[in-house]
Amino acid sequence: MTAARCWPSMDMLRSEPMQLVQLIIPIESAHRAISYLGDLGLFQFKDLNAEKSPFQRTYATQIKRCGEMARKLRFLRDQMKRTGFLSSSWSPMGTNVNLDELEVKLGEYEAELLEMNTNTEKLQRSYNELLEYKLVLEKASQVFYSAEHNAIAQHREVEQALGEGSIDSPLLLEQEMSSEPSKQVKLGFVSGLVAREKSMTFERILFRSTRGNVYHRQVVVEEPVTDPVSGDKVEKNVFVVFYSGERAKNKILKICDAFGANRYPFPDDIGKQYQMITEVSGKLSELKTTIDIGQLHRATLLQSIGYEFEQWNLLVKKEKSIYHTLNMLSLDVTKKCLVGEGWCPTFATNQIQNVLNRATVDSNSQVGAIFQVLHTKDSPPTYFRTNKFTSAFQEIVDAYGVAKYQEANPGVYTIVTFPFLFAVMFGDWGHGICLFLATLYFILREKKLSNQKLGDIMEMAFGGRYVIMMMALFSIYTGLIYNEFFSVPFELFGRSAYDCRDSTCREASTLGLIKVRHTYPFGVDPKWHGTRSELPFLNSLKMKMSILLGVVQMNLGIILSYYNAKFFRNDLNVWYQFVPQMIFLNSLFGYLSLLIIVKWCTGSQADLYHVMIYMFLSPTDDLGENQLFMGQKFLQIALLLAALVAVPWMLFPKPFLLKKQHEERHRGQAYALLDSTEDDSFELEEHKGSRGHEEFEFSEVFVHQVIHTIEFVLGAVSNTASYLRLWALSLAHSELSSVFYEKVLLLAWGFNNIFILIIGIVVFICATVGVLLLMETLSAFLHALRLHWVEFQSKFYEGDGYKFSPFSFVSIGDDEE
Amino acid sequence: MGFFVTTLIFLVVGIIASLCARICCNRGPSANLLHLTLIITATVCCWMMWAIVYLSQMKPLIVPILNESE
Repeated sequence: MTAARCWPSMDMLRSEPMQLVQLIIPIESAHRAISYLGDLGLFQFKDLNAEKSPFQRTYATQIKRCGEMARKLRFLRDQMKRTGFLSSSWSPMGTNVNLDELEVKLGEYEAELLEMNTNTEKLQRSYNELLEYKLVLEKASQVFYSAEHNAIAQHREVEQALGEGSIDSPLLLEQEMSSEPSKQVKLGFVSGLVAREKSMTFERILFRSTRGNVYHRQVVVEEPVTDPVSGDKVEKNVFVVFYSGERAKNKILKICDAFGANRYPFPDDIGKQYQMITEVSGKLSELKTTIDIGQLHRATLLQSIGYEFEQWNLLVKKEKSIYHTLNMLSLDVTKKCLVGEGWCPTFATNQIQNVLNRATVDSNSQVGAIFQVLHTKDSPPTYFRTNKFTSAFQEIVDAYGVAKYQEANPGVYTIVTFPFLFAVMFGDWGHGICLFLATLYFILREKKLSNQKLGDIMEMAFGGRYVIMMMALFSIYTGLIYNEFFSVPFELFGRSAYDCRDSTCREASTLGLIKVRHTYPFGVDPKWHGTRSELPFLNSLKMKMSILLGVVQMNLGIILSYYNAKFFRNDLNVWYQFVPQMIFLNSLFGYLSLLIIVKWCTGSQADLYHVMIYMFLSPTDDLGENQLFMGQKFLQIALLLAALVAVPWMLFPKPFLLKKQHEERHRGQAYALLDSTEDDSFELEEHKGSRGHEEFEFSEVFVHQVIHTIEFVLGAVSNTASYLRLWALSLAHSELSSVFYEKVLLLAWGFNNIFILIIGIVVFICATVGVLLLMETLSAFLHALRLHWVEFQSKFYEGDGYKFSPFSFVSIGDDEE
Repeated sequence: MGFFVTTLIFLVVGIIASLCARICCNRGPSANLLHLTLIITATVCCWMMWAIVYLSQMKPLIVPILNESE
């Protein structure tokens, strides 16, 4: 399908020529070769093992290994995130770590971290328990002290009530306290901590279950305590419960467990209490130092991991993708090599061969890799070499459909016409400047922003920064032409053409001004703004402009289809599609455009609606006052006949001629094809859709042609009308902008109050940014996109190709699991 | 300035722009052709828009009628 190039080739117009290539790589250099090919990023592998399940493939174990390592890396990253470390910015290409070494290292690190984590947890738990114990010791002693004090006081009262204070009665309190133990009631007690929110319920249940035979005291702990089990800070109270009897004790213990109240032993003796407190304090400080040392150790470990983490991560991802690719090659066991097939651009042949040689040398292999071009009828993938500027426009086109291999790429013209049509709908040079400044920010901080992770919407805006820049530049131009700066006109390019009829200007608001000077040289005359006849004039202008622009763009589309036909040596398409299409479109809408221009140039009062409609209804009638030039009637009849002839010209000949062509080709296939595979030693795999005899269904082709013709004929009318959205959106934009200016800013100015002015300015800015700069931009973007996708591309674009997606490591770095 | 003078100005600007593109970013014949195409397309689009607006104002059928408050 090559074509004689009688004109020089243009960069993005057609896909790069692609070739199907077979690679035969010896096993020892296979891994390295694939790795280098991934760095190069210009080879798309075909999956030769598509029928095999993932487990049957050659390198399934390797992939499992990589998966294991990826899991360990995720665990490490999780640990780092928990400690608050961010994996540091790229330490590029440090030491080249071997995959096996890395596996061992990762295993070690994982085990070490897990161990450290469990130890820390245990230590922390003991620490918290000891803290609680200390609290119990401190607070419960208060309870005991006050309880004993009360008991002694009561005892003394009872004694005094009984006897008059004999000489035996002890004078000092301590002696009283150490009075006969047999006189004291034998009480057991339980002490511990309970959560404050549960304390009331706790008390109540204790009371009910022991039938009131317990004495319960609670002391509030001021600060929240870290609960050993859950690790959270909880407000707790210290409680002491006095009971008598075994059954009561069991009940109380069970209730404590149910409420998650931790129990701690409390020694009776004051001396022992002090001893316990010092002991516990000592243990606490010991534990704290141990825990701190442990944390420090962990932190240093994680930091050292953090330096190399990104590199390891990338390495593991790379290896995984290399093994996936290796799985796509078929193993030729007898010859100890791997056979792979794939697509690559023709210009990359030398680069790929160099890469393969380098792999052979680096892996000390005896046998070199073989690079062989195959001939096939498969349709190759489409590849355009784009840079950062053109890639955004190409993506816009690809979103509709990827170009068929080597058909004309609408992306070339989209680079200019898309921002231009946007600007026709957006035209305001004030807004254009704002948009330009915004996108300038993106472009100037390009390098920095492309490494950061932006949100979804910002990502889209950043990706389209060059598109938006072009849109802004064209908007400034069309804004100058429409003479709108936030809807305010300026007299920038000379004097306005209109002035009063006489010096008194009496009739300015009834009959209007007249044109006294030559036409305003650039754009819409500034005198129009705010007048009563502004809208009729602008509407007429913008509608006619939309039709003219539309007809030009559609003609461009049809001309591109001519170039496609010439490239693919399809003469049928030239004579039986391109020519009648041009005739049909131009005899109707091209003629309308001509009439518009003639009317403007001559200033005639002819009614163009009338002319066009009666051209069809009664073409032989006299035009009368709608006549624009001599011989118009005959021209109209001639054009009408041409359009009528063009329709069957598009419809009938092509299917019959296609049938004849097929029969001729069919007759020729009785002889064997000469360009079968040259090399007999390798067997090419037959793909499922391989052509044997091409089927030719005449009825199908004819119906296809009917549909195509109807689509074009009806589309000519509807697409031309569709371009009127250029008028509609531009009207909406200018009206919105004028409303915001007059009804917000000028109104606020009219009050002569500084506060109202400030409020007015703020509202104006918010409305401009929100409605005009964001919503209108999106709206005009969408409509310009639709005009391109439907009206322009339907004239020539097939768009049923598939994109070239080479095996490359570039995209792997962005891949988040 | 008349219609044709300004059209000539557009043509000259287009030629200057393509020369600048050829001087500044000369990257081989196919890339040069792409740049030339883009510049021609942009020039034609801009000229068309200016010409349409200019022609429609040359012999106007409607004139500005001011508002009462003016």
